[in-house]
Amino acid sequence: MSDIHADISDKSEAALGGQGTVRDYWTLLKPRVMSLVIFTALAGLVAAPGVIHPWLAAVALLAIAVGAGASGALNMWYDADIDALMARTANRPVPRGAILPGEALGFGMALAVGSVLVLGLLVNIVAAALLAFTIFFYAVIYTMWLKRSTPQNIVIGGAAGAFPPMIGWAAATGSVSLASIALFLIIFMWTPPHFWALALFREGDYARAGVPMMPNVAGARETRKQILLYSLILVPITFLPSLLGTTGMLYTVVTAGLGVAFIWHAVDVYRITEGDAARRACRRLFGFSILYLFALFALIIAERILGLAPFAPVFG
Amino acid sequence: MSQTMDQRPFSPEDMSRRRKRSIALALVLAGLVVLFFVTTIVRLGGEVALRNF
Repeated sequence: MSDIHADISDKSEAALGGQGTVRDYWTLLKPRVMSLVIFTALAGLVAAPGVIHPWLAAVALLAIAVGAGASGALNMWYDADIDALMARTANRPVPRGAILPGEALGFGMALAVGSVLVLGLLVNIVAAALLAFTIFFYAVIYTMWLKRSTPQNIVIGGAAGAFPPMIGWAAATGSVSLASIALFLIIFMWTPPHFWALALFREGDYARAGVPMMPNVAGARETRKQILLYSLILVPITFLPSLLGTTGMLYTVVTAGLGVAFIWHAVDVYRITEGDAARRACRRLFGFSILYLFALFALIIAERILGLAPFAPVFG
Repeated sequence: MSQTMDQRPFSPEDMSRRRKRSIALALVLAGLVVLFFVTTIVRLGGEVALRNF
C-alpha cells in the first residue's frame, strides 16, 4: 500500500502538499455518511431514558459527527489506491492528488483524538470509549483488515456504522443497555442487504479494485440468497425496541408495514436474476433500504417529540 | 527540500487556498473556545457561586 501511496504522491501536482481546499478537507469527512451518523446518534440520544442538557446533547452529537468524519478521513487515506480504481471514488481528494496521503492521515488522527477527548471531557467517558472503539473498528478492523480480505467485510465491518445510536444513548445515560444494543442490531443487520444490493449493480467497480465483495467472490446467486436471509432476520429485530419498551405503537405499526415492503423488495432481488429487471430490483432494494432505515429512526425521534414513547422527555 | 521549494514557489492560487484554510481553522478554534466556555458554564450550573470554600 505504501508504494501505491508514494505513487499517488509522486504523480500528484501537489507533491509539496498544502494544495487542498477547505472543500477537499470537508469531502474527506464523508459528509453524507456523517449526516446519517448524526441522525442515528440523535435517535439513540432521544430514545434513552436518561436526562441530558440540550447543550450537552448538541456537544455529544458534534463530537460523534467529527469522530465519524475522522473515520472517513482515515478510510480515504488508507484506501486511496483502490479508490483510484473505482468510478464512484476516483475523484476523492487523495486519489485526485488534491490532498497528500500524509495530510489525510494527520487530519484524520487529529480529529479522532480531538472528538474522543471532547466527548470524554465534556459529556461522559462511556460515550467517549464507545466513540474511540468505533473509530478504531472502522479504520483498522474494517478498512485495513476486513475490507480487502473477506467477502464478510460488510457483515462484520457494519458494526462500525451501527455504533452511533449506542454512543448517543451512552451520552444521555452514561451506560449501555439492552435497548441500545437493539438499536445497534437494527443497523448491523440492515447493512449487509443494503451494501450487497449496491455491490450487485456495482460489481465491476469492486472487482476492478480487487475488493472481495460477496457478488464477485461467492457469485450473484449466493449474494441474492444472503440478502433475503439477512432481510428475514432484520425485520423481526426492528421490533426489539418495542418489546424492550423504548418505542410505542406508532413505531410498531409503521415498522411492520415497512418490514413487509423490505422483504418484498428482497424477494424481488432473489427472484429476478437476469437482465435489466434484475439490476432495477437491486437498485429498488438499495434505494428502499435507505428510506427504511431513515424512517425507522425518524419514527423513534418523532414518537419522543410527540410524547408517544413510553419514557419521559430526555432533555432537562 | 529547500531546492524543491525554490523550484515551485507558491502561486497566487496556492496562497488563496492557504488563506481560506487558515480562516477555516481560525473559525474552528474560535468555535472550540465557545464550546468549552459554554459547556463549563452548563456543567457547573448556576449554584457554583454558592459553594463553601
